[in-house]
Amino acid sequence: MFISLVRTELQKTWRSRWVVFAVMGGIFLLIAGGLYTYYVISQHRWSPPPAVAWQTALRDQITVNQRNVTDLQSLKQQGGVAGGPFRGDLSIDAAIARAQKAVADDQYLLDNNIAPLQSSAITITALFGLGGIVMFLLIRIFGWLASEQVAGERSDRTIAILLSRPMSRDQLLLAKAVASFLVSLVVVLVTFLIVYAMVSFIQGSAGPLTGQVAIAVDGSKPVGAGNLVVMPIMLFVLMCLGGAMLGVLCVQGMSLLISVVTGRWAAIGITLAVLFGAPLVSAVVTGIITVISGSSDNAHFLTYLFVNVLAPVSSIAPVFGNAPAVAGTGMNEFGTQITTLAVWTVAFFAAAWLLFHRKQETG
Amino acid sequence: MAAIIDVDRLSKSFGAVRALHEISFSVAEGEVFGFLGPNGAGKTTTIRILLGLQRADGGTAARLFGATLEQPALYGFLSGRDNLRLFARLLGPVDEKQVTELLGLVGMTERGDDKVQRYSMGMRQRLALAQAMLGKPRLLILDEPTNGLDPNGIHGLRILLRKLATEQGLTIFFSSHLLSEVEELCDRVVVLHRGEVKAAGQLSELMNVKGFQYRIDVSDVERAIEVVRSIDAATVEQGTIKDSITVSSDQDIARIVNHALVTAGVGVDQLVHTQRGLEDVYIELTGVSPGSPLSAPPPPPPPPAAPVGAKS
Repeated sequence: MFISLVRTELQKTWRSRWVVFAVMGGIFLLIAGGLYTYYVISQHRWSPPPAVAWQTALRDQITVNQRNVTDLQSLKQQGGVAGGPFRGDLSIDAAIARAQKAVADDQYLLDNNIAPLQSSAITITALFGLGGIVMFLLIRIFGWLASEQVAGERSDRTIAILLSRPMSRDQLLLAKAVASFLVSLVVVLVTFLIVYAMVSFIQGSAGPLTGQVAIAVDGSKPVGAGNLVVMPIMLFVLMCLGGAMLGVLCVQGMSLLISVVTGRWAAIGITLAVLFGAPLVSAVVTGIITVISGSSDNAHFLTYLFVNVLAPVSSIAPVFGNAPAVAGTGMNEFGTQITTLAVWTVAFFAAAWLLFHRKQETG
Repeated sequence: MAAIIDVDRLSKSFGAVRALHEISFSVAEGEVFGFLGPNGAGKTTTIRILLGLQRADGGTAARLFGATLEQPALYGFLSGRDNLRLFARLLGPVDEKQVTELLGLVGMTERGDDKVQRYSMGMRQRLALAQAMLGKPRLLILDEPTNGLDPNGIHGLRILLRKLATEQGLTIFFSSHLLSEVEELCDRVVVLHRGEVKAAGQLSELMNVKGFQYRIDVSDVERAIEVVRSIDAATVEQGTIKDSITVSSDQDIARIVNHALVTAGVGVDQLVHTQRGLEDVYIELTGVSPGSPLSAPPPPPPPPAAPVGAKS
């Protein structure tokens, strides 16, 4: 019975909103076409570049960073920016320290034959496909679709028919949540494959799917024994997928919560206002706190308050073996963000269940 | 006969407004039951409680499983056939044969594969009825099913419902404020007004329970009214037909009236025992004429409804 319910919900979502999925597919094609055009113009070639071994890429990166250190030190000796802000709120000393740390981190990975995250196309895809702008947009579409789940039935009055069938309210709500999640999972997986194809092309290779990658436990500290987690590539990809899907689930929980108490247009409006408005408000408050306190680290708590559903994966994104990392990145941060998201998700679904359970359909 | 719906002292309030006050009735299996009342009487609230969409403050509303039809609630983006398939799946494996049969039964075979958003209101009502009959229910609950239908549609629906009741033995719970519908279709009715049951029983009994009525064609209307007024048990007024009077009484006084008129020299051309229409009973019970602007009076601020018994 429950499977039939989920199947019915999937059918309704597809039949009523196939245009949305078609538009999403079209946007992906446009983005892919745009990126390819940019690649052709900037690289003066139509075909993928030759693949480069990660060790070679890492050595090149060390060379670039060493040159950066030298340039920054000579800039400091000239006294132009000594002591004062150099880039944003970063002093030149801090910039030198970060570049030096990046060199040391890369050297450690090279010496110990540990592949950094950017060594494989699929890990790059996991980071940017599941923690970047694509997911930002997808999550808003998933929120919109979930917000219609109950509210749409109420506006169409079909909820009376559904609830008069031999099923409980709990079953109906659960079926809608499961169907929403399954739809989003399929879309995310398809998106992942598209981004993977694009990244593979730009990298010149699909890269290995087996082997190990390393992630810093705390991205702000030097990479080394005790501050690295080494794991199989596919486990890392699954970890990112799990983090991203938890974010999706959290948004769907919030959308369902709105959906169980309103009609269709109110639910869609409120959901999209929250999903687009929250990052905006968060950015403004972050700016105010940064200006007052002098450091953006003091605004980091907003990540938990504003339910930044991309936070888990994006907290890993800056932790490349060769990239300067800041506070609030690394495996520790990933764990904290996952916990935060899980708490919000449970709270949203519990509230949605409670309200729907008590709701009397009067419309 | 076993009751398929059994409502016992059902109460429901919305804030200070009392929607239902200890209403009780039962519907026997196989009967066509009329649930009558002006707008705002509490019919839809009762049905919503029966369907489990709302909770009662008190009382019980036990029912066996039945299908429903309120306003035509369908998915516009699906075809009529797919709507039936979708709702059928919620009851078990989809029986394609039954879906096709139901489309035929409600006269929607030709338009069954068109999207519902292109249907007229009448077609939607018919498809909603087919939806309600999925899974071969023993009970159909119909809330104002003739809303939005033209006279042809109403006539067709009435024939269909009567056919369902007689040929398939369906129990039909028919809620309406249209007296003619209920009068032509139902065996038994409950009249609801301001959340209270005002009358309940067989339609024939209900229409006679308030007494007898006669139309008498006379030679002199003014003299006839004067004569009948002298009879204690009778009330009289000028008839709606020319040269006639209408006499009402709680006793059968046909012979007495006839004798008095003839004795007084008033010519009696015809004395007809007229069946009181449901409309007369309805107006007497509710004080509102069906279809009048007064048919949806605001409920007076009620005393708090006392919860009774277990919740439904």
